[in-house]
Amino acid sequence: MNSSTTPILEARNVSKSFGKFKALQNVSTRFMPGTLTAIIGPNGAGKSTFFNVLSGAFPPSSGEILFNGKDITGMQQHEFARIGISKSFQITNVFKQLSVHENVRVAAQMETARYNFLRNAQSYPEPIELADQLLRRVNLEHLRNKKTGDLAHGQQRALEIAMALACNPSLLLLDEPTAGMSPEETLVMMDLIRTLANERTVILVEHKMKLIMGLCKRIIVLHHGEFLAEGTPEEIQNNAEVRRVYLGQG
Amino acid sequence: MNAFFQLIARHRVLASTLFLAIFPFIMPYEALAINILIFGLFAMGFNLLFGYMGLLSFGHAAFLGIGSYFTGIAIVHYGVPWAAAILIGIVGAAIGGLIMGFLAIRTRGIYFSMVTLALGQIVYYGFYKAESLTGGENGLRGVRVDTFNILGIPVDFLNPLVKYYIILFFVVIAIWLISRILNSPLGAVMEAIRENEKRAAACGFDVAKTKLLVFVLSAAICGLAGSLRALHLSIVPIDSLHYLQSGQAVMMSILGGMGTFFGPFIGAAVMLYLEDVVTTFTKHWMAVVGLVFMFFVLFFPKGIWGTILSKLHIQQDSK
Amino acid sequence: MTGLTFELLCMQLLTGIALGSIYALLALGLCLIFGMLNVVNFAHGAFFMVGAFLGVYFLGITGNFWFSLVLTPVLTGCLGLITERFLVRPLYGRGLDYPLLLTFGLSYVLIEVMRVTFGIEGLPSVTPEGLGGTMNVGIGYFPKYRLFLIAATALIIFGVWFFIQKTRYGLIIKAGAADQEIVKVLGIDIAKVWLLVFGLGCAIAGLSGILAAPTRSVNPEMGIPILAESFVVTVVGGMGSPVGAVIAGLLVGVVYSMTSLFFPELAELSIFVLMAVVLLIRPQGLFGKAGAMG
Repeated sequence: MNSSTTPILEARNVSKSFGKFKALQNVSTRFMPGTLTAIIGPNGAGKSTFFNVLSGAFPPSSGEILFNGKDITGMQQHEFARIGISKSFQITNVFKQLSVHENVRVAAQMETARYNFLRNAQSYPEPIELADQLLRRVNLEHLRNKKTGDLAHGQQRALEIAMALACNPSLLLLDEPTAGMSPEETLVMMDLIRTLANERTVILVEHKMKLIMGLCKRIIVLHHGEFLAEGTPEEIQNNAEVRRVYLGQG
Repeated sequence: MNAFFQLIARHRVLASTLFLAIFPFIMPYEALAINILIFGLFAMGFNLLFGYMGLLSFGHAAFLGIGSYFTGIAIVHYGVPWAAAILIGIVGAAIGGLIMGFLAIRTRGIYFSMVTLALGQIVYYGFYKAESLTGGENGLRGVRVDTFNILGIPVDFLNPLVKYYIILFFVVIAIWLISRILNSPLGAVMEAIRENEKRAAACGFDVAKTKLLVFVLSAAICGLAGSLRALHLSIVPIDSLHYLQSGQAVMMSILGGMGTFFGPFIGAAVMLYLEDVVTTFTKHWMAVVGLVFMFFVLFFPKGIWGTILSKLHIQQDSK
Repeated sequence: MTGLTFELLCMQLLTGIALGSIYALLALGLCLIFGMLNVVNFAHGAFFMVGAFLGVYFLGITGNFWFSLVLTPVLTGCLGLITERFLVRPLYGRGLDYPLLLTFGLSYVLIEVMRVTFGIEGLPSVTPEGLGGTMNVGIGYFPKYRLFLIAATALIIFGVWFFIQKTRYGLIIKAGAADQEIVKVLGIDIAKVWLLVFGLGCAIAGLSGILAAPTRSVNPEMGIPILAESFVVTVVGGMGSPVGAVIAGLLVGVVYSMTSLFFPELAELSIFVLMAVVLLIRPQGLFGKAGAMG
């Protein structure tokens, strides 16, 4: 397949209902490889639900998800990671009782050591080296032996990104990566995301408009669970529908 | 002080073996020491699933019981030699673990305890009713192993001290195996799943398969404890399979310290020793157990060993 | 099969419904506590047993069944209130297993307390005056007490349903079970709600006990198998579903009863096998939500 024309991720007529509540209705869109896209929308737009469907937390009620042209609808969460789709959560999800280094090392052992139960974990050098590398990348190397429960909020979020990178994903999905961060921490995270976007495809869900406008080349807007608009930051800012939805409703 | 704890943590199998080797000499009588060995192993096997993976099973007596009954039935009804009978007990328990685990893991979180309790009762009633094989209400009798030869040397199994060391041999192997599992990549995945299932899955680990694998390993170890118990008692009481027996494993783990290496053994030792002492004064042992357990749940959830470790600011396990 | 007639089958069915009524009530109590507090009450069987003892005891000293029927759940309910307030509440937020473990330990204490108070043999079970003997139900003569049991539990279950669905307090409980934050925002003390629901659940368990007492032997260990059987009902019906609890309770009672007729040896086993089958085919239970799967 020609990698420059096949979308790395595609949602086709994706709908999701929880009982009677329709969270997503017929959302279709494509993400091209190497791009940095943001998904935005007012509260209740269905961003989180869409993120969860795209990242494999649960399958859509109807519709398909395609990864590099292959149908992956209904695949389980752990299978998503194995094919190269990785994510970070809106609420930080790390292994609290383990140290910073152990967190990333466990994430890293997916590639080599997996479930082996007779060899000593320390005898596998690759996960340890990879963990060192990733911690350097997110500037947490100096805290490697600290318990994650003791880290600052921004540092925990950075740790989660390091863990998401451990399986060397071609597609990275980040759910509100700067949530709860101070302005300084936010700038650091933005830089990290920028460099990550140079190596792989990144999809973000975000609230902070200023961030997105400066960061992404493509923005998708959802509203009431439906696809509303997409385009460059300028196009979105000038889109009458979007303005009405965000500003007209006060 | 700190150095001492670091040392035994790094060489935990050796430390356990040395301590258990002299154990019968510090206990008032050998049968108590043997009991502690057996139930310590039972609690350790259970703790693999509970303390390290975070799955609270109330059905583990089924594996203790399957191990006991399969070994006993093999010896009593089929004349199988004792070593092979132990193997049969372990395999039987592992298969039981596979079936129970498969059914129980399909349920979420808190339901797991309920489901495992009820599934364990299937095993209980099943063995209860199969009277011709199991002796039903009266239990299985006549699991006699008197003397046998190891490499040509005659061994008198009826001698309590000899019995203790034969059983210890198997227990040490199991302890070594548990230690290896915990130090392995699987051990790391287990703890990751306990800490945060969602994150573990997002990293690519098949959570359900891992839970099932550990369930089976845990069942096999409890099965070994059961096999050894049958040989020790020469009978298999039907209550071995009841959920109250499962509850005892839970209590021992909490008492000693769940999620720690030495905790379950310490819990078993304390509980059985306490029972031995208390029952000479009163017949209301059940109330004492209940109160002590509630006390620990409320005020010392880390258990004896866990509390000691945290007071000394030591990590609970060597990595 | 000789002797197997339509009448016999119907009678056995009726017996199953009587047994199932007790299961339904028990499971409903368990479901309330779980739905609201996310706690599996491992002392539920023990509260059932305490209810049976208190019921028979008060019936013995007052001779008045109706008085005992009202007093018993009040007492077990109060015991439940004390349990929640001082033993369970400190454990919230510590992890889902802790309240469960605590109630398990509590059951040990309750059993032993009853042994000390009433003796290890238990109490002889008594059928209340006026409800003894049998009654002609068209297809045969059926024990009056069991008919009373069916009617009484139906009434109680209706009462609980009415309370939850139609009263203001019941609405708070329903809302709180669905979303605790909302309830707090409305200025309602969620801790009080938890307290009362736990008490209500234990009251229902005690009520099941006194209602069941005339149909079985009353001894300190009677609650032990009952706990396991309540869990079977809950798994079959679906965790957190009151409707499931009631229907599964009746179903389990009938399965037990019918199996006793055809394969008496397998009666106890049959209900657990039913549960295993449900787990295999539909892990969330008959009325549970699909999200209950691992």
